[in-house]
Amino acid sequence: MVAPIQSGGTSMAGQVPVTVRATVCAGQLDAVRKVLADLRRHGPQDDRMPFAALPDVHFARLFVLEDVTDLDGELIPASLVYMADVDGSVDRHLRRLATRAGTGLDEVFGYCVGWPASATDRQRADWLRGHCLQPAAYYVHRVGRTVAQIQAEDRLRTELATMVDEAGAAGESSAAAVRARIEARVRATPELAWALRPAAGLGLAGRLRDTVHKLVPAAGVLLALPVVVPVLVAGLVAIRAQESTDRPDTDRPDPDHVHEVERYEDFAAQNPFTAVGLLKPGPLRRATMRVALAGLDWACRHRYARDNLAGVRTIHFARWLPLDDGRRVVFASSYDGSQESYMDDFINRLSWGVNLVFSNGLGYPRTRWLVFGGARDETAYKHYLRRHQVPTVVFYSAYQTLSARNVDDNSLIRDGLRHTGTAGDEADEADAAGAADEADAARWLRLL
Amino acid sequence: MTEQLELDDMQGLLVRGYGTLPEAAFLLLRFDDVPAARRGLAGWADSVTSAERAPAGTALNIALTAVGVAALSPDGRLPAGFSQPFADGMVTAYRSRLLGDVDDDDPAGWAWGGPAGDPICALLLVYAERPDLLAGAVDAATRHAAGHGMTVVRRLTTLPLSEQEAFGFRDGLSQPTMDGLPRAEAGAEVVRAGEFVLGYPNEYGLLTERPLLARERDPGGVLPPDAAGSGCADLGRNGSYLVLRQLRQDVAGFWDFVDHAAGGPDGTTPAEARELLAAKLVGRWRSGAPLTLSPDHDDATLAEVNDFGYHHLDPDGLRCPVGAHIRRANPRDSLEPQPGTERSRELNRKHRLIRRGRNYAEDGEQGLHFLCLNASLTRQYEFVQHSWINDPSFHGLVGSVDPVVGPRGAGGTTFTEPARPVRRRHPGLPRFVHVRGGAYFFLPGIRALRYLSSLPDPTLSVR
Repeated sequence: MVAPIQSGGTSMAGQVPVTVRATVCAGQLDAVRKVLADLRRHGPQDDRMPFAALPDVHFARLFVLEDVTDLDGELIPASLVYMADVDGSVDRHLRRLATRAGTGLDEVFGYCVGWPASATDRQRADWLRGHCLQPAAYYVHRVGRTVAQIQAEDRLRTELATMVDEAGAAGESSAAAVRARIEARVRATPELAWALRPAAGLGLAGRLRDTVHKLVPAAGVLLALPVVVPVLVAGLVAIRAQESTDRPDTDRPDPDHVHEVERYEDFAAQNPFTAVGLLKPGPLRRATMRVALAGLDWACRHRYARDNLAGVRTIHFARWLPLDDGRRVVFASSYDGSQESYMDDFINRLSWGVNLVFSNGLGYPRTRWLVFGGARDETAYKHYLRRHQVPTVVFYSAYQTLSARNVDDNSLIRDGLRHTGTAGDEADEADAAGAADEADAARWLRLL
Repeated sequence: MTEQLELDDMQGLLVRGYGTLPEAAFLLLRFDDVPAARRGLAGWADSVTSAERAPAGTALNIALTAVGVAALSPDGRLPAGFSQPFADGMVTAYRSRLLGDVDDDDPAGWAWGGPAGDPICALLLVYAERPDLLAGAVDAATRHAAGHGMTVVRRLTTLPLSEQEAFGFRDGLSQPTMDGLPRAEAGAEVVRAGEFVLGYPNEYGLLTERPLLARERDPGGVLPPDAAGSGCADLGRNGSYLVLRQLRQDVAGFWDFVDHAAGGPDGTTPAEARELLAAKLVGRWRSGAPLTLSPDHDDATLAEVNDFGYHHLDPDGLRCPVGAHIRRANPRDSLEPQPGTERSRELNRKHRLIRRGRNYAEDGEQGLHFLCLNASLTRQYEFVQHSWINDPSFHGLVGSVDPVVGPRGAGGTTFTEPARPVRRRHPGLPRFVHVRGGAYFFLPGIRALRYLSSLPDPTLSVR
């Protein structure tokens, strides 16, 4: 598959997933847990992980992956994982983090194998870079929208809403008149002048890269169809044969585990979801997972890059990350609302997509033909997710009160300030244009 | 397909609100002596009111907390398969965040059910046709409890059954109709029985998780078998989860706010403006007529019309605001991604509640003993409370929780009345409803109640 993100000088506005994973030294797991609990208590101002001082971070999290024995009896040691969704590039983020945190990072990663003692900021950044992993699929709610843009547009909404209050009190008679009045106010306010320009977005270079990323794999798949189709069909038939003998794990999650996960949920508008699981045995499942994730990544970038993941509008970011030579996969997302509403969304709106990926996981509820069944078994599916969830001890959001829908609406509000003016030669045309302008202004005002 | 319900094994509250029995009292019980309490419950199990026919005179229903069920079990532990919120109880830190029971409404300050209060094991719901019958039934129940190792730790009184809640609006109009019961009216919203009663298929066509016991734990064969054919005994079948919350309503505060917010520039508030704003907050006029059907004035003839949707008549909330109480508690056909369709209603049907609350007035306060029944506390009651009532971003709103019943942060909440050309915003709505107590209960099937009250003591059980 095409790696969607390369390090180094990517577009200023693109969003990239940072994932640092480091093995914890034997016997140091409790020390790591203590640091995470401490970071959580201190919040994003803490010098060791100063998220609030890093203007490129949308969301960030730190968690521990416990040690586990794989299906061949081999021990996968415990590790510390840092994830962030950032604007710009992974390199720039890690350099910035290392500069800001300095020796503070020693306390966070100092219990991991190979962490350089008494290093320079640069060396620490390099170490983190060396421990980066690349997700196989990455979803961004709106590609190109930066933290700075999201925060500025929210402040803009607050200001404009007050102007709307005043227009209402002044008894303006039409939506178009209200909008014209507000637009004039914005125009006359130098601090708000930016709002009249379109958001930077990906930029020309970014869009070009995006188009190449879109067309090359698609063209490749099309050209290879005579080979791809028989392989997919054969794979699907083989999967179907396995599905009837795969053993779903029907255990309830351990209440203590559920309580531990719940401890870190429902503090902000968004919640972190982090889960890890072993894949089913055999190369077929690994291959299926790889193909599914490659397709998903392509779809996220080209079909779902504007405000929804196959109809689900509550996810800000999500990533699917194969680990340990493909023996395990981590799924991590930042979503709006409660765990329950999140799981319901997947069952009701997206069970096929969830099945396609997660049914390759060991113990997943029974599927048929890869996409049917599975998540539709509500209780089994909810138990499966809870069992595999990882307590997300440290979670940071740069915009704690904003749902993804709020963020989208704020962008629409800003864009609506730049409506095209209307003028017609004939009286009829002017009337029609006036009516269209009024309808457009009314739609815009509904967002405020 | 119509569900065959075992009405003789279901407690009556599941199918009727006892409208013919206007008097009611709810007794919260503690078990002091478990063997005696079992005998006491066995006695009540014989007289508990089933769903089979409407009772005359009095009715009695019984529900148990997780603490109560565990106490009755031979090993002192709650059997596996009960839902996690029931097992944990209503007042964990996580649940309090989820339900909005924070700040002034922190369970630490509750009159009952809070962490410092008396442990609650059971709830006795007593209904009667007349006050004297109620007094007699409550007296008898209290004596029966005292004689069987149980203490009434709190008696929740109710006002005579009324169609109006304390703010003055007709309440309880939109109730789902359970599949398998005679239809109340044409166009009634029929919901699969398994959404409310354990052991029957729910809206997914599946059986909701419930406590199943190995057959040897029910040697007498008291319990019904698992409908899924596992061979287990089903302790959940014909039972339901019951949510009880005492909600104090600040009636003066509500109307003061409305008077102030609806006032004109001259400081006076015309009666029509006052009524309209109050109706906008609720989504119905005082008579119960929905604003969606009658946007400009109250029309009592529309009060009981319930087969309406929002999307086609009123997508932007110009009639009934998107943030209004009833539009949040039951969004009907407005759920995305395909509002206005059967698909949207289908999603909504997975979050319905049977409501059986009664008003109260005591100790100088008034409000509602909110009581609802559902098969999944997480997908139904907690979802409605968290993701609809309490969500500040509900349907794209900003910083706006339910204007009538929602919790508030420090600065209150904002209510928006959509209008043309410009909406009217009401910032700083204070809290009108306060939680004074609450707990999760299991309303067992009648055989399950008999089973639980006939279990052996730990000392007698073979280890």
